[in-house]
Amino acid sequence: MESWKEFDQNPITHSVAHHLVAIADLLDEFGYARVSDVARLLGITRGSVSVTLKNLKQRGLVVEDEQRHLGLSDEGAEIAEAIRFRKRTMVRLFAEVFGVEAKQAEIDACKIEHLISAETTDRVKGFLRFCESGDGEALFDAYARYRDRAQDATK
Amino acid sequence: MSAHEHHLKRLNELFAEELEAGIRYLHLATSVKGLDRLVVTKTLLEGMQETFEHAQTIAERINQMGGVPSLDLKLQLPPQKISGAEAIRTALAFEQAALDAYREFCDEIKDDVALEEFIREQVGVESQHVAELTLLLEE
Ligand SMILES: [Fe+2]
Ligand SMILES: [Fe+2]
Repeated sequence: MESWKEFDQNPITHSVAHHLVAIADLLDEFGYARVSDVARLLGITRGSVSVTLKNLKQRGLVVEDEQRHLGLSDEGAEIAEAIRFRKRTMVRLFAEVFGVEAKQAEIDACKIEHLISAETTDRVKGFLRFCESGDGEALFDAYARYRDRAQDATK
Repeated sequence: MSAHEHHLKRLNELFAEELEAGIRYLHLATSVKGLDRLVVTKTLLEGMQETFEHAQTIAERINQMGGVPSLDLKLQLPPQKISGAEAIRTALAFEQAALDAYREFCDEIKDDVALEEFIREQVGVESQHVAELTLLLEE
């Protein structure tokens, strides 16, 4: 399968993903989002944010009112939510199941949040649910013990 | 953070805005395709020149205030073919952003009349530049 081509054609680049999520996070936290807020959150210049947003506005993902407050269109909000869901799910897989340190789990989830498919994310979510279920708990505990032993052995 | 430190932080942000804009101008100037390429390229290169001068002015100001210009740019400019009008629209987007940054800083400055005066002057220059770019896009 030539999945790398699929990624290349993926119009949601990592940068775009972070812009959409930043706007969604700011709207959730403060009820508004401005170019300056997005720039500070992402640690980039306002110029950079404005150029990216120009394209996202043209694509109908981001909207801006007369007071220059930013918002997401339905499609933009949907994409932002999907990316946030993917990230949360992958962070949980890495940290809770694999025992990866929280910060590293965040970093690695960040790298794939915009690339991983909805289907795989749903499967991972299902697996996390299984781990918490009656059937899964014993298996998960057994795995966690095995994982930690293996980890200790390599030290 | 003292007011002075805050001012230096903002000046460094403006330094980054200007320098990055200069790089963007050069990239745009060398990416324009189409009938109006020659005239738009010239405009963009003038913008680059002016923006680098602004960056230098800001850096000098930072030095005069006892700071050190610092820069942390995260810039990716993928190859693109762009029309003259689209290039100007892109330039307008980052120039407007820089103007907003100057304006906001101007409102924040307290207890430093000289700095306020300096930034106010920059606001004037930036406003004029934005107005000129806007004129170019009028039908
Ligand atoms: Fe990310
Ligand atoms: Fe400037």
